[in-house]
Amino acid sequence: MLTFLALTSVAFLGIVPEQSQAIAIYTGWERHALVGSDIRLSCSFFSWRWTSEDVTFSWTYRPDGSRDSISIFHYTGGAAYVDNKGPFRDRLEFVGNPGRRDGSILLKNLELNDNGTFTCDAKNPPDIVGRPSSVRLLVFEKVPIQAGVITGAIIGVVLGLLVLIVVIYYLMRFLVARRVFSLSVSKHGKKKKEGSQQRQASFSFYLFHMPLFLSFLPPLLFFLCLLPAPPHTQTHTQTGAYTHPADNTKSNRLVCCHIQALIVK
Amino acid sequence: MNFPPQLSLYQSTVIMLILLAAIFVLHIACIIILLTATIDNAWWVISAGNMPTDIWARWVFVNNSWHSIDLPSTYPESYLQAVQASSVLACIFSIIGIFVFVAQLFTLPKGQRFLVSGVFQFLACLCIMIAASIYTDRFHTNEQSLGSYGHCFILAWIAFALTFLSSIIYFVLRKKTAE
Repeated sequence: MLTFLALTSVAFLGIVPEQSQAIAIYTGWERHALVGSDIRLSCSFFSWRWTSEDVTFSWTYRPDGSRDSISIFHYTGGAAYVDNKGPFRDRLEFVGNPGRRDGSILLKNLELNDNGTFTCDAKNPPDIVGRPSSVRLLVFEKVPIQAGVITGAIIGVVLGLLVLIVVIYYLMRFLVARRVFSLSVSKHGKKKKEGSQQRQASFSFYLFHMPLFLSFLPPLLFFLCLLPAPPHTQTHTQTGAYTHPADNTKSNRLVCCHIQALIVK
Repeated sequence: MNFPPQLSLYQSTVIMLILLAAIFVLHIACIIILLTATIDNAWWVISAGNMPTDIWARWVFVNNSWHSIDLPSTYPESYLQAVQASSVLACIFSIIGIFVFVAQLFTLPKGQRFLVSGVFQFLACLCIMIAASIYTDRFHTNEQSLGSYGHCFILAWIAFALTFLSSIIYFVLRKKTAE
């Protein structure tokens, strides 16, 4: 009883939709491809009927930004007719299998103008009611990336300015340090001993160590900055090498020679 | 920063070392975020096809693999190159800043501030702010429905905040006795 009910219901469901069920066509939604490559646009359908011998496939193409579509492919009566006048002449090939409900086409050697919508319409008599399905084709150009001139110019100028600022800064410091060093040696009695020594000590200490670690300074500048010696030897030589304050130039030279001798030792 | 007297020398040293490590890690994080934002081409993601794009190239998924293609010529060329240049400069300044920080750690006299490191981090902050601002204002302004901002864009703005914070810390921090 139950099996009889099941069988009748299946038969009922089988018979009734046959007349109201429509053919369903499947294509992709969107396809991306590179210029010069080939692409296969697939189209298949689903129908409750067996695949008849009069099954037809037709593809139409609508370019991007255009309102009318042209027909580029038609398969009917067992024969495939490809576009031989339109934009796809000699570039279109039928690679589908109508017996297996496959109506795919192959587009060869894509161009940028091939951007557009491809619509597939399949009919399986007597099942002819259906909605065509569309696939959108996007063609991209593969071009090697070229860095811009403006980019390089901006980067080069900013880094160049940075290096210039640092070099000028150290040059100024070096010149000022040498001047301060020679002045403090000659004006020994006028200034407070601790103050000048401390100021000069931190200054020359700073000067001594900073170029060591900023390696983009030329080594020559680094060796030049070694001339003002560390604080403890300076105080020693200042007290030891002090002569009459009136003999400015002569004492300067003598003092320099003394200090140089001590550094070399 | 004066430690309370009940902290032993050992404890204060440990606290200072932890602080130093945190500042160093923050700077390294800034560098990594800046490099990712500059190099990874994903400032904007186009919804149709899920294509990440900008600022150097565009990615497209074709034949089961990703291909990089040129940016469309409709992009404003000079603004794009300004964004490229300033994001690269931000990376460079931040990387120089980490080396300068390490150098200043060993050479700065006691009680002085890490000014030069702070200056470099501030320059990096400025540059990435310029890049992100130009990009926000000039690109994809009429395409809000066609895509969304990618992870590099968000990282660029995060890098702006972090480098700003880092530079403020360097301007405020004074060198202590442990080093």
